Amino acid sequence: MTILRTNQIVKSFDGVTVLHDISVGFEAGTVTSIIGPSGSGKSTFLRTLNQLEEIESGSVFFYDEDITKKASDLNHLRTKIGMVFQSFHLFNNMSVLENCTIGQIKVLKRTPIEAKEHALLYLKKVGMAAFANRNASQLSGGQKQRVAIARMLSMDPDILLFDEPTSSLDPEMVGEVLDVMKQIMNEDLTCIVVTHEMDFAKEVSDRILFMDQGRIALDGSVEEVFNDANNVRIAQFLHRMR
Amino acid sequence: MNVLAGIPQDFLGGTFYILRENYPLYIEGVKYTLLIATLGTLFGLLLSLFLTALRIQETSNKDGLKERFIKRFFVMISSSYVEFFRGTPMMVQAMIFFYGFARMGLRMPIIIAGLVVVSLNTAAYLTEVLRAGINGIDKGQMEAARAIGLSRAKALRYVIFPQALKNMLPAIGNELVVNIKDTAVLSVIGVSELFYMGKSVAGTYYRYTEAFVLVALVYLVIVIIMTRLLSFIVKKVNHKEVHLPMSQSIPIEVN
Ligand SMILES: Nc1ncnc2c1ncn2[C@@H]1O[C@H](COP(=O)(O)OP(=O)(O)OP(=O)(O)O)[C@@H](O)[C@H]1O
Ligand SMILES: [Mg+2]
Repeated sequence: MTILRTNQIVKSFDGVTVLHDISVGFEAGTVTSIIGPSGSGKSTFLRTLNQLEEIESGSVFFYDEDITKKASDLNHLRTKIGMVFQSFHLFNNMSVLENCTIGQIKVLKRTPIEAKEHALLYLKKVGMAAFANRNASQLSGGQKQRVAIARMLSMDPDILLFDEPTSSLDPEMVGEVLDVMKQIMNEDLTCIVVTHEMDFAKEVSDRILFMDQGRIALDGSVEEVFNDANNVRIAQFLHRMR
Repeated sequence: MNVLAGIPQDFLGGTFYILRENYPLYIEGVKYTLLIATLGTLFGLLLSLFLTALRIQETSNKDGLKERFIKRFFVMISSSYVEFFRGTPMMVQAMIFFYGFARMGLRMPIIIAGLVVVSLNTAAYLTEVLRAGINGIDKGQMEAARAIGLSRAKALRYVIFPQALKNMLPAIGNELVVNIKDTAVLSVIGVSELFYMGKSVAGTYYRYTEAFVLVALVYLVIVIIMTRLLSFIVKKVNHKEVHLPMSQSIPIEVN
């Protein structure tokens, strides 16, 4: 079953097109990694999927619903499409626990008690339950990102979007976040990950999208994409990543 | 009895005499000054939250003509409000406000009129401060809030405003101190705050210097106490935010 699908989406900034006619779908239970050079449009593409970025033309379907339609209830839809950012963006005015309950209480209308139980479940999963009452700003980068993952999971989304979740971490903290992600991916959750961690991408992905200059240049299994000797661009890209 | 008979002629003697005989009036004046300044700051702050929400509209290319118009209209209301109140002296506003309403047959108690004028002014100033405070907050905070499904209004209320308010706490305190001093202009409409009381005491004895030196001293004392109190509060609030050095080798317990 296709959870999320784009149909010929076009996006430009100040007259410069950064996404050209992208049509692609994401199947339930699969992990897709998006790789590609800096500026190729990976983040922009990911952000169109939950409509943090509006598009000029085309459409984005969540199951059968076109979420770019004016009538669509974006706030509700966004609870179903979770997102983790490169620089965490934990709410600085809240504790770790509150970060994970605010959306449940204010959007999903869960009771504070339900929300707390639920949040603690996921905080435990990411190894951050002991920090529940800490202020978000007192955590290390790796801890922040694990809390951000728990915050996303607490909303029970159908699909998870990760935008370079380890890129702003000190090297020694990358592992703890990748470990949490691997664990999630083992649970059959549907994930789309923009990443520069090639080894990680190879290990977890069912499918790799190689983006280049606002287009999906390659789309296939790990084998197919990483061993595509005919494509000069991916060869160059992979060479630079090493 | 002639009130002028008992008062010593020298400055110090006169001052102490006035203080001894009239301290209840000064205290009464301080009460109104503090009441109007504090409540005015508080109401102004609340109004500024509302004005700021009107001011910072996000546009979407899904917006129809009607939405665009409404958003522009809200922005215009908010910015003209700020411009008007920042661009005219509070004393003039007080006159227009008080006599304007009186002319329309609406006689409100003077103290209410004074409070309203201070609140409206404070709102204008704090709207500017709040806007700057919000601009200083990482855009990611709003994005993360929207990404978990919070509406714009809820994101402002639960995520953005609390952070902006914390950052602008010193500015709010500063505005309170300014208000304590600026309530003096409300004497033009007859609000019996500290300055007004000073004027009436001065008029009783024809001793303006002494009466107003006392007024100045009282203002000074209130402002000094208030400033200390505020900086204590600001420290207290910010203290919780201290960046604790964290061990980076906390073992991860994934299970
Ligand atoms: N808000 C914006 N305003 C203007 N231009 C933008 C904006 N966001 C992205 N761009 C431009 O769009 C293009 C694609 O950017 P995007 O961030 O999607 O690339 P990316 O593949 O995620 O790169 P990176 O690997 O560096 O994160 C870039 O040329 C970028 O400069
Ligand atoms: Mg990016």
